[in-house]
Amino acid sequence: MADDAATFLGYERPDGSYGVRNHVLVLSILGLTSASARRIARLVRGTRCVTTPYGRGLIGADADLHRRTLTGLGRHPNVAAVLVVGADRKAVDRVAGEIAASGKPVEALALDDVHEDALALTDRGVRACVPLARDASRLRRVPAPLAALFCGLECGHSDTTSGLVANPLAGLVVDRLVEAGGRAVFGETVEWLGAEHLLAGRAATPEVGQAIRAAVARREALAVAAGLDLTGNNPGAENIAGGLSTIEEKSLGGISKGGRAPIRGLLGFAEPPREPGLYVMDGPAFSPESMTGMVSAGAQLMLFTTGPGNSVVSGLAPTIKISANPQASHRLAEQIDFDASAAFLGQEGLPAAAGQLFRLVLEVASGGLTLGEILDEGEEVVTRLQPSL
Amino acid sequence: MRPEPRWDAVLVHPGDDVATALRVIPAGTTARVQVGSGTRQCRVSDEIPFGHKFAVRELAAGQPVRKYGEVIGGATARVPAGALVHVHNLASRRARARPGENPGAAGASR
Repeated sequence: MADDAATFLGYERPDGSYGVRNHVLVLSILGLTSASARRIARLVRGTRCVTTPYGRGLIGADADLHRRTLTGLGRHPNVAAVLVVGADRKAVDRVAGEIAASGKPVEALALDDVHEDALALTDRGVRACVPLARDASRLRRVPAPLAALFCGLECGHSDTTSGLVANPLAGLVVDRLVEAGGRAVFGETVEWLGAEHLLAGRAATPEVGQAIRAAVARREALAVAAGLDLTGNNPGAENIAGGLSTIEEKSLGGISKGGRAPIRGLLGFAEPPREPGLYVMDGPAFSPESMTGMVSAGAQLMLFTTGPGNSVVSGLAPTIKISANPQASHRLAEQIDFDASAAFLGQEGLPAAAGQLFRLVLEVASGGLTLGEILDEGEEVVTRLQPSL
Repeated sequence: MRPEPRWDAVLVHPGDDVATALRVIPAGTTARVQVGSGTRQCRVSDEIPFGHKFAVRELAAGQPVRKYGEVIGGATARVPAGALVHVHNLASRRARARPGENPGAAGASR
């Protein structure tokens, strides 16, 4: 089959992964240095910036989550080199050390080093980033096997066209990727309510099936404890306007973006899959947070299905927007990367549309820009759960 | 000009109770509904907006409603064949605290 021979052009990283982009990451590990990080990134070409409003005072699961997310973003294959900025030397060294284990160049700066002077931190940061950006620019793309690709799947502003066409279409592409030895993940646990029996039925082992059911039960209990009537919340107003009536209907349409492959595991937020195959991630349904979880886990590219449109994209992983809604695809020429409305209108079969989408995935993986990248949209959202100390 | 869909609506699974409109279907017209590789006719009593659903058979109040061959909720009133099915007459069966039950336990007990 032609697919077995399919390759993309990627940046080979010291840990054996392949980037589809070649960013230098300016990573602020707590809120105190966010402004400096943004200034540094604005001044140095080729950089992307990740900031978080939080940092100190996080406890238990939140502290772990925070660190795992930041480390995952630093180690990400689309990142050539990292400048870690933070307040104290010990904390920046710890994060920098975890990222440097991947073999990529890492620099670390702390406010401590510059006597709490944010402008001095900016100055040092710019100077530290210059050689990182110069060295990164000298890396060249090389042919990479499809098996090196890890794709995240996201829905945002779904309508009924999402479940009928856009999601099944993404699912066909995922099937080809997984068959070729690649990885894929979808999350948004609350959007498995009413479809968890189908997901559990596809689990590679009974334990994975039980874990999926338990994750859904936890999320459902959260909604009940919060006194939420999900209708009006999820499906939200835009989903309801688009014809979706219940969470069950949304879920049953949503899970088709994961194709038909067996589900190898349930990942925690930002947890990387250890083996090839299809995974689900237990995470929030808010798109920016959900995508950051998958990107932290190492997804280099996102397939993002929408009905009426949704402009949010990841800052580190190129995000391909897919809509099967004829009006939206027509109206949002600078947002929808893949117009699947011909399949919705019955003028083209899903397999033919999936072939085109698959070619677009390879093109974007090899350097072709998405509309979100051209318009410089996108940022990562480091999530949190509990109160701080 | 956007091309028109080949059908007015689609029944995703042959056993489904609701079909999804692929275009605006005016009230009182007969919709051509795609079912697999075939087509069936269905008289629509309400105007069905693009992407919304209508009942292809009468549904009793409290009856589970199917789409994708799966239950998407329960009818909250009797729904005549051809009527719009949406949040006014269809409700989720999930994440709802049941009377007399500790709210936090509803999901965990599943």
